[in-house]
Amino acid sequence: MVLDALSALVTETVADAASEWDVAGEIPIDVLRGLGAKGVLCAEVNPNFGGLGLSGTENGELTARTGALCSSLRSVMTSQGMAAWTIQRFGDKAQRTEYIGRLTSGELAAVAFSEPGAGSDLAAMATEIRRDGEDIVVDGSKTWITVAAYADWIVVFGRYQGGGAVALVPTSAPGVGVTRVADPLGCRAGGHARVVLDNVRLPAENLLAVAGQPLVMLTTIALTYGRLSVAWGCVGILRACLTAVARHAADREQFGKPLLRHQLVARHLAELYAGERTATFACEQASRSWDEGSPEQVPASVLAKHVAAGNAARGAASAMQVLASAGAAGGHVVERAYRDAKLMEIIEGSNEICQLILAEHAAIAAG
Amino acid sequence: MTDSTTDLTVADIEQRVGEFLEAKTRMTWEPEVDLFASGAVSSLFAMELVVFVESTFGVAVEGTDLAMDNFRTVRTMSSLVTRLRTGGDGGA
Repeated sequence: MVLDALSALVTETVADAASEWDVAGEIPIDVLRGLGAKGVLCAEVNPNFGGLGLSGTENGELTARTGALCSSLRSVMTSQGMAAWTIQRFGDKAQRTEYIGRLTSGELAAVAFSEPGAGSDLAAMATEIRRDGEDIVVDGSKTWITVAAYADWIVVFGRYQGGGAVALVPTSAPGVGVTRVADPLGCRAGGHARVVLDNVRLPAENLLAVAGQPLVMLTTIALTYGRLSVAWGCVGILRACLTAVARHAADREQFGKPLLRHQLVARHLAELYAGERTATFACEQASRSWDEGSPEQVPASVLAKHVAAGNAARGAASAMQVLASAGAAGGHVVERAYRDAKLMEIIEGSNEICQLILAEHAAIAAG
Repeated sequence: MTDSTTDLTVADIEQRVGEFLEAKTRMTWEPEVDLFASGAVSSLFAMELVVFVESTFGVAVEGTDLAMDNFRTVRTMSSLVTRLRTGGDGGA
């Protein structure tokens, strides 16, 4: 099965390096390019564009397996997949062929939404994309852009002629400045960076065809992929914590018996198991809707992200509590999970933004 | 895409779109009423509409076709579907 072969490839590639990457704050670029060139980082891409053609469900499972090993690598996968999806949706035929092809050939992409003045309120973004003859000019500033420190391309969302647009900005272009976020809380090797776009001039071909549509519609469509990918990544965090807690609670003895025989510890394991299962079910349901082309995929992706991120943050905190000093060294799988999971409650729609979206959806559904 | 979609008339398309909108919003929609001006639809709804149109009528709405104006009314959606089903490709 392709999924198992890809999982094995990711597992071999990561080997025992996830902790080292986390502590160093960097994944070797050759590792990322190598996986990218094999199509693993955006495995849902159609074979016509050099992709592996996985279903959403299969890609989700691959994302979870990657997330269980290394959330930084998983966040690169989320970014690359969201970039490919954005180009697929918003580009014309020539743009899809050209740029999605690059993303399956080893080039790396970041997706830039957030700005100093526009986090949860993406409609407030100030980055401007304007036409100037045969060119476009991109001007603005983006913050906390995952993968930007590694990226060849930044998929920039901005304002354009009263609506929104998406520009594909090469990081090598004059006027692009990329500055790493120092010691980020989680996904420390995810390449988070601040991106300054100082009147970056590009050929008009770098403007995706959809230009001029409402900005919120564009961000909602792009983020639906990102939310589902992050949700699956949280499933991975939960699985890693579940394994660590189950082993530790069975092996470690205190007060003359294994931790697992202490009921207060057993409860942590039970809740972690419940958290992993419910997050998995929510993700599977959302990915099934995605694969079936059901409109339910849109709210289901927000639900999956919300459930999985909350479960991961609570689950990682309880795993930390059970492992205690055994899991507290820098770079330990549970220590990483504790930091990475908290970030998952913030990105791709914070807990609170997900709650607002779900409340609105529930209210409309109830009529 | 199913065989049953191969000979759809404009009236068929508008009926299916209307049924979907009614199920989602619990309101009936005249063919030329602006969905987005009404405030009855959520911020996620534009994308739900896109996915509904694609899966129901076996078309891909990408590139320049992915315009809010194509989804603004039942009629504009049926025009989009008819155009895409007869081979027009605004994404070219």
